[in-house]
Amino acid sequence: MSGLLTQEFTVNMGPHHPSTHGVCRLILTMDGEKVVKIEPVIGYLHRSMEKICENRTYAQCVPLMDRFEYVTAMSAEYVFVNAVEKLAEIEVPERAEYLRVIMLELNRIASHLIFYGATAMDIGALTPFIYGLRERELIIDLFEMTCGQRLTYNYMKIGGVSHDIPKEFIPKCREAVKIIGEKMSDYEGLLNENPIWLARTKNVGVLPTDLAKAYGVSGPVLRASGVKYDIRKNDPYSIYDRFDFNIPCRHNGDSYDRYLLRLDEIRESLKIIIQALDGLPEGDTLKKVNPFNFKPPAGEMYSRIENSRGEMGVYIISDGTTKPLRVKMRGSSYNHVQVLPKVATGVLIADLVATFATLDVIMPEVDR
Amino acid sequence: MTGDELKEYIVGHLEGKLKPLESGKHDPLFEVQESDLLTVAQVLRDDENLKFDFLSCISGVDTGERFEIVYSLASLANNLRIDLKVVLSREKPEVESVQEIWPAANWYEREIWELYGFDIKNHGNLTRFLLADDWDQGYPMRKDWDAPDFVRFPELER
Repeated sequence: MSGLLTQEFTVNMGPHHPSTHGVCRLILTMDGEKVVKIEPVIGYLHRSMEKICENRTYAQCVPLMDRFEYVTAMSAEYVFVNAVEKLAEIEVPERAEYLRVIMLELNRIASHLIFYGATAMDIGALTPFIYGLRERELIIDLFEMTCGQRLTYNYMKIGGVSHDIPKEFIPKCREAVKIIGEKMSDYEGLLNENPIWLARTKNVGVLPTDLAKAYGVSGPVLRASGVKYDIRKNDPYSIYDRFDFNIPCRHNGDSYDRYLLRLDEIRESLKIIIQALDGLPEGDTLKKVNPFNFKPPAGEMYSRIENSRGEMGVYIISDGTTKPLRVKMRGSSYNHVQVLPKVATGVLIADLVATFATLDVIMPEVDR
Repeated sequence: MTGDELKEYIVGHLEGKLKPLESGKHDPLFEVQESDLLTVAQVLRDDENLKFDFLSCISGVDTGERFEIVYSLASLANNLRIDLKVVLSREKPEVESVQEIWPAANWYEREIWELYGFDIKNHGNLTRFLLADDWDQGYPMRKDWDAPDFVRFPELER
């Protein structure tokens, strides 16, 4: 199209835009349909949770963590509880550890199913959204059966978990695992070779390995760029070292690889859940800790786990009182939004939507 | 490398530039002088046996008595983890930006500048992004800033 005079113009995308997955605003400089410059504007969900935590006791911080990352609220609770337990050197009952792993992995699958549905919907395919949410409902039902909540659970307690599972949980869970395992081929059948999907994702939004590392990108996005790094394997927490599972890894770093990698991860999570259900021991689920007078000894540490989006971390400083001196929350979406201009500059605006969706960010994690 | 070996290696390699702190519970924690930060960071990232190429997190800290800033680092290649702490002066808290070494620092430092009011030297993009654009009530994460449990917005009251 040489000789055609074009003028750059500015488009405001968001904050209330369905494909920004929350309230993220992107100021785009466009040249026709091509994105020349991206400037993310965040802060619409800022509640200063870190400051709120400093004025609460440790037990009161746990339900706040649900609001930090509501799609995988179990992992947000766990990362905080894990840090406090390590600081206070609390031994958690064996059964509670198994239940935690089951819940964390179920939550990871639920999150990946939302990713699968929402990403496809951003590109214009509605069926995957219905499929993804249909199976996610099975998992949410399991959570509701256990702790009475569907999204913000307050399930992890300092010293264990709040409720033991009911009798019907194990058969229902096995059934859900079986159904999701069978439906995987349906998910892949809908999108893997779909020409519209391929045109929007293949070789689009490529994130090279060096850039990914430099910008602190983690989780499935990092593994799709060719770095085989998963905290569950590399720095095992809880009882992950007892289970046999693989770390899927891909090398193109484009949107398509990020999508495929998450589907692979669902399979691995299903494997972990089956092993955990098989090995689930009897016993207590909570070591009693007085929540009103709980004082971990003075010290500080950074605790990190692998949640469905990447590395989730908490830096906690205890001064030996009932309230934490400092709680710094680290969500992987923070880095993923930061790296977006590097990944998506130069793509078409429809591809930008797909790229942003496959980075799988969630805004409360960014704004806190 | 285990935690103790790692500690020994780093202390031996960066003689006098950093000292291990006892308060770090899980992973090794070191204190660095502000003036040595960039040299230390460069060595930590480039040393063949360390290769701390992944900046997990930067946390600003106000203990009530002093200001601190903590860098949480990981090495993807060698599977290691440490934290670095820099103590800043209460009167004039300022620290050099580490963006040249870890580009991920950009937003973390910007956030610390905004919420704690530490001056980040050579940052290049210190603009407001988490707080409201017209925020004029100081630095909310400092301990002398009292957090009310509920904030009333006069313009919303009838």
